[in-house]
Amino acid sequence: MLQCIFLLSDSGEVMLEKQLTGHRVDRSICDWFWDQSISQGDSFKPVIASPTHYLFQVVQEGITFLACTQVEMPPLMGIEFLCRVADVLSEYLGGLNEDVIKDNFVIVYELLDEMIDNGFPLTTEPNILREMIAPPNIVSKVLSVVTGNSSNVSDTLPGATGSCVPWRAADPKYANNEVYVDLVEEMDAVINRDGVLVKCEIYGEVQVNSHLSGLPDLTLSFANPSILDDVRFHPCVRFRPWESHQLLSFVPPDGEFKLMSYRVKKLKSTPIYVKPQLTSDAGKCRVNVLVGIKNDPGKTIDSITLQFQLPPCILSADLTSNHGTVNILSNKICSWSIGRIPKDKAPSLTGTLVLETELERLHVFPTFRVGFRIMGVALSGLQIDKLDLKTVPNRLYKGFRALTRAGEFEVRS
Amino acid sequence: MAPPAQSQRSPSRPQPSGKSEVSDLKLQLRQLAGSRAPGVDDSKRELFKKVISYMTIGIDVSSLFGEMVMCSATSDIVLKKMCYLYVGNYAKVNPDLALLTINFLQRDCHDEDPMIRGLALRSLCSLRVANLVEYLVGPLGSGLKDSNSYVRMVAVIGVLKLYHISASTCVDADFPSILKHLMLNDSDTQVVANCLSALQEIWSAEASTSEEATRERETLISKPVIYYLLNRIKEFNEWAQCLVLELVTKYVPSDSSEIFDIMNLLEDRLQHANGAVVLATIKVFLHLTLSMTDVHQQVYERIKAPLLTLVSSGSPEQSYAVLSHLHLLVMRAPYIFSSDYKHFYCQYNEPSYVKRLKLEMLTAVANDSNTYEIVTELCEYAANVDIPIARESIRAVGKIALQQYDVNAIVDRLLQFLEMEKDYVTAEALVLVKDLLRKYPQWSHDCIAVVGNISSKNVQEPKAKAALLWMLGEYSQDMQDAPYILESLVENWDEEHSAEVRLHLLTAVMKCFFKRPPETQNALGAALAAGIADFHQDVHDRALFYYRILQYNVSVAERVVNPPKQAVSVFADTQSSEIKDRIFDEFNSLSVVYQKPSYMFTDKEHRGPFEFSDELGNLSIGGELADDVVSAQRVEENDKDLLLTTSEKEETRGSSSNDSAYTAPYDSSSASVFASQTQIESAISNPTAAGHSPQASLAIDDLLGLGIPSVPAAPSPQLKLNTKAALDPSTFQHKWRQLPVALSQEFLLSPQGVAALTAPQALLRHMQSHSIHCIASGGQSPNFKFFFFAQKAEESSNYLVECIINTSTAKAQIKVKADDQSTSQAFSTLFQSALSKFGIP
Repeated sequence: MLQCIFLLSDSGEVMLEKQLTGHRVDRSICDWFWDQSISQGDSFKPVIASPTHYLFQVVQEGITFLACTQVEMPPLMGIEFLCRVADVLSEYLGGLNEDVIKDNFVIVYELLDEMIDNGFPLTTEPNILREMIAPPNIVSKVLSVVTGNSSNVSDTLPGATGSCVPWRAADPKYANNEVYVDLVEEMDAVINRDGVLVKCEIYGEVQVNSHLSGLPDLTLSFANPSILDDVRFHPCVRFRPWESHQLLSFVPPDGEFKLMSYRVKKLKSTPIYVKPQLTSDAGKCRVNVLVGIKNDPGKTIDSITLQFQLPPCILSADLTSNHGTVNILSNKICSWSIGRIPKDKAPSLTGTLVLETELERLHVFPTFRVGFRIMGVALSGLQIDKLDLKTVPNRLYKGFRALTRAGEFEVRS
Repeated sequence: MAPPAQSQRSPSRPQPSGKSEVSDLKLQLRQLAGSRAPGVDDSKRELFKKVISYMTIGIDVSSLFGEMVMCSATSDIVLKKMCYLYVGNYAKVNPDLALLTINFLQRDCHDEDPMIRGLALRSLCSLRVANLVEYLVGPLGSGLKDSNSYVRMVAVIGVLKLYHISASTCVDADFPSILKHLMLNDSDTQVVANCLSALQEIWSAEASTSEEATRERETLISKPVIYYLLNRIKEFNEWAQCLVLELVTKYVPSDSSEIFDIMNLLEDRLQHANGAVVLATIKVFLHLTLSMTDVHQQVYERIKAPLLTLVSSGSPEQSYAVLSHLHLLVMRAPYIFSSDYKHFYCQYNEPSYVKRLKLEMLTAVANDSNTYEIVTELCEYAANVDIPIARESIRAVGKIALQQYDVNAIVDRLLQFLEMEKDYVTAEALVLVKDLLRKYPQWSHDCIAVVGNISSKNVQEPKAKAALLWMLGEYSQDMQDAPYILESLVENWDEEHSAEVRLHLLTAVMKCFFKRPPETQNALGAALAAGIADFHQDVHDRALFYYRILQYNVSVAERVVNPPKQAVSVFADTQSSEIKDRIFDEFNSLSVVYQKPSYMFTDKEHRGPFEFSDELGNLSIGGELADDVVSAQRVEENDKDLLLTTSEKEETRGSSSNDSAYTAPYDSSSASVFASQTQIESAISNPTAAGHSPQASLAIDDLLGLGIPSVPAAPSPQLKLNTKAALDPSTFQHKWRQLPVALSQEFLLSPQGVAALTAPQALLRHMQSHSIHCIASGGQSPNFKFFFFAQKAEESSNYLVECIINTSTAKAQIKVKADDQSTSQAFSTLFQSALSKFGIP
C-alpha cells in the first residue's frame, strides 16, 4: 500500500512525484530524506522511518526511487516493486540518468500509471507494458515521422492481459526464429588470512533471448542438474516437470528474460590464486602480492583486476608491478589491472607503505577484491544438455554461451 | 506545493522565474483552445509538456486549470493522459473548476477505445472531490459491467477510491456486493485481485459499524473463497499472488490434511523469481504449521535454501529486506541454520547495517561444531578497516564465549586481542574479559596474567577503564603491582573525566585494601579524600559511604565491599522473547525490518482501514491480552526453546481465548475486545476522586532510602496471593467494566526501578515473581501502561490494577479494582512494595 513515489536525482532534486492515494504526501519529506541520506552516508538503510512516513528507497545508477507509506506492509514488496520500476524505466529509456528521466517524464508518468493504482502494484511485466506504451526509441520516432502518427500509445489493449500466459504478448511473427541461452555465473569466494578458502559458491543465471513465432513450448535440460543447490524460476517455468525430472519446461516471454537463477555451494577451488604478504616494522610496511592461475579452466581468464583500500593510517604508498598497471585513486583505493596472465611470468605487485609517524606496525589489514572473467565456461560445472521445441518452426537457430566472472571474490591479508 | 528550492541546482534548464512564464503559457493555451488547425495537437503537446514539467518541479500551475480543460477536447491519447495527470493533481485544491472536467471525462468514459474508457474512469475517480461523487456512480456502475477487463479492473479500484471520498455513496450504490460478485466470477485475475484488495479495505473499515460487513469480511477467509483463489493462484500476476498469500495466512484450516494440501499447492511459489512472493509464501508456511512442531521444523529446513538464495541475488536493498527476515528466523531457531554459518560471513563491501545483522546471526548459530571456524572468521574482522564493525566482531566473539561451555580456544583469542596494541581492540577485549571472568572465574589465572601486562595508560575508553579497574580490584591478590597501578591512577584523579571510572576506582581501591592493606593504605586515603571532594554527587556519596563504613566497622565494610561472589550464569537478554514472538507473528512486514512489533511504531490513525492485521495492531492492548496470559504460563514452564514456545503458545491461545492475533483474526470477539477496550480507556480517563495523599509518606521513604533496599517494611502479608492465578482477557475486560475503582493512587518509583524499566516486559517478569500477573502492557519510554491482575490464595477473589508509569518523572499511577473491596488497601500496599523492589537486585 504505497502512498507516493518520488524520483530523486543524484543531487537530491525531486524529478518526479506520483501521488497514489487520497493521502497526499508532502514533498518536504524528500528534503528530510536527503538530509538523512547525507548525514548517514554508508549506513543509510533502505527501509527507514521518517517522522511521518515509512520510506523505502532503491538507488540505481544515481537515481533514488523513494516510496512512502503510512501503513504496515511487506517491505520486500515495496522494495521489489521499486526495483522493477527502475528496471522497466531503464529498459524503456535505455539507461537511467537525470536527463533521460526529465526528457521523458511523460512516459514515466504513463508507465507508473499502469504499474500501480491506488498504491497497489498492477503489472510490471515489460512485455505487457510495451504493448500499452511504446518505448521512445528511434524506431518509433522514425515511424512517427513517416506515418504522421505521433502518439506513443498503441490503440489496442494488450492481448496478454486476458491470456493465461500473461508474460507473453499475442503471437509475434519472425522470419528467423532464434533462441539464445546464456549461462552467466558469478563466483563469490572468501580466502582468509591463512590462505584457506573459507567460502566459495556460484550464483548463476540462465538468461534467454527468444525470438520465436507463435506460442513456442520449450524444454531445456541439463546434463547435471543435481549440482544445483537452490533454484528460482521465471513465472513461465512449469513446476512439475522440474520437480519430477529436472526439466525446464516453459513458454518463453518474447525477447530477453531471466529464465532461472541458481546457487551452487561448496566449490573446492578457484581458478586463480592471490597471495598477499604484508610485513611491517619500524613504520614501514612491505607489500608483496602474487597472482597466478591455480586451476586452469581451459579457457582464457581475462580482465583480471585487484583492488584494495589502503588503511587510513598510511601516509604514502609506493607500489609497482611487473605486469599490468597500478593506480592509486584519490580515495586511497589501490587498483591493479592485470588483464591476462602472461605465460612467462607470474604477475606480482611489490612496494612499501609508509605508516603514520607514531605507528610501528600495521594493525589494520586490507582486503583484496579480485575481478576476472572467463568466457565459455560455467565454473559451477553446470552443463546444458539440450533445448527442444515442441513444434519446430522452419529456420530455427539455437545458440548457447557461458560466462563466469568474479562476484564478491575477496582475499584477506 | 513546496517552493522549488532545488530548482537553482540545475542551471542547464531554464527555470521559470514565476508568474510571467505561467501567464505566458496561459495565453498560448487560450489561443490553441478553439483552434482546429492541422498540427495543433503537436503544439498543444509541447505546451502540455511544459505545464506538466513545471508541475513536476514544484511550480504552482493551478491557475491554468481552466485553459487546460478547454484544451482537453482532443482525440490524442497522450494529450489526454497529460491532461488527466494535470487534472488529477489540481482538482482537489480547485473543487469548483474540477466540475468543468467532469463533462469531458464522462464523455471519455463512453469512448469506444477501452483504453480511453479506462483512463478516463481512473482520472475521474482520482479527482477526489467530495461534492462531485454523484457524477462517479454512473460511470463506475457501467465500468464494472464493461466488456473489457482493463476497464473493469480500473473501475474496481475506482470503487475503492469512491469509498474513501464518500463511504455512504459507495455503500448505497451497492458497489461492495457487485465487487464480491465480480471477485467470484470474473475471468480476469487482475479484476479478481483488485476486487479482493478493495473489499478487504472496505469491509475492514465498515466492520466497526456494521455487523454485516464483519460477516462479509469473515467470508473472505472462508474455505470456499480461499480455495477458489488458491486454485487460480498461478494465473494471478506476482503482486496479486502476494495479496492472495497474505489473505491465506489469515485462514485457519480445519485439520492437518488441509494444511498439507495448501502447502503442496503453494510449494512451487518458493521458487518464484519475485522475492515478495517467496516471502509471502514462507509466511503462509510458518503460520500454518505453528501448531505442528515437527512439521514447523521441516518448514524451516525447506525455506532455508530459498531465503539464502534471495539474500545472495538481487540488489543490496532487496537482500537487506530478506536478511532482516532471515535474521528473525535465525534468532528463533539458530540450530537449524548452524550448518549454514558461512552464508553469514561478512563481505568486504557490504554496508555496515548488513554486516551488523550478519554478526548477530553468526553469534546465534555458533555451536560446538562450528565455533572454531566462526571465531576464526570473527577474529579476522577485528583487523577490519571499518572500526565499528571491528568492535562489533570482538563483542560477538565475547558473546559466543559466554554462550559456550568450551571457551578454551576463545579465551586465547581474546587474550590475543589484548596484545594487538590497537586501542579500540584492547578496549573491547577488556570489557569482554571482565564479563568472561564473571561467568568463568576459573579462567582468572590465564586472563589476569595478560591483563596485568596492559599499561593502564593505553586504555582510554571509560568502559574499558572501568573493566580494567574492576579486574584490578577483584584480582588484586594475583596481580603483583595492582596497588601501585591503582595508586598512580588515584594520583591522577583530577584528570579522570568519567564519573563511572572514578566510581570504579573507589571500589577497586577498597577491594584492594582488604586484600593487601599495607600496600594500599596510602592510595585508599588519597582516593577517599579525592572522592569526598569530588563534585560528582554519586562519587562523593560513595566515597563518604566507604569512609563512614570503614569508620564504623572494618569487617562490616569488608563484607559489604568484598562479599564472596557467585559466577553469573546468564546475562540478561536485551530483547524479551515476548517481543520476538510478536515480531514473528508479523512476519513479512515492516516490524521485522525495524525489529519492533508494529504497535510500537505504526501510527494509530493510519491502521484501521487498510489491512486486517493493522486493525489488530490497533488493539495493541487487546491483542496482547492473550500474549501475556500465555507468557505467564510460559515462564512457569520455563521453556527456552522458542520454536516450541510459539507452538505451545498457539495451542494455549487456541484453547484459552479466541482473540489471538492469527488463530482467528476475524473472530467477532476481537471486535468486542476493541470495543470494551475503548470503554476501559474512557473509564480510566475519568479522574477518580480518591486522593493521592496517603502515598506521600511512602514516596519520601523511598527517597530517603537512597535506593538501598527501601522496601517500605513490607507488611507481613496477611494477604496471600495465588501464585498461579489465571484470568482470561475477556473476563478481565468484563470485570474491569463492572467493578468500581476501589483505590487510586500515585507514588514515586525508585531510581533503580526507573532505570530498569526500559521495556514493559522487564516489569512483567518482576511482578510475576510477586504473584501479580500482567494481562496487557504497552507503551514506550517514558510512558508505560500495564494492566495487572492477582488472585487471593485459596479464594477466587480478583484484584485488577491499571498502572501507568512515567519514567521521566518516576511516577506511577495505579487504579485498583477488587472483587472484595475491603482488602483493596492491603493489596495496594502489597502491589507497591512489589513495585518498589523492581530494579533492585
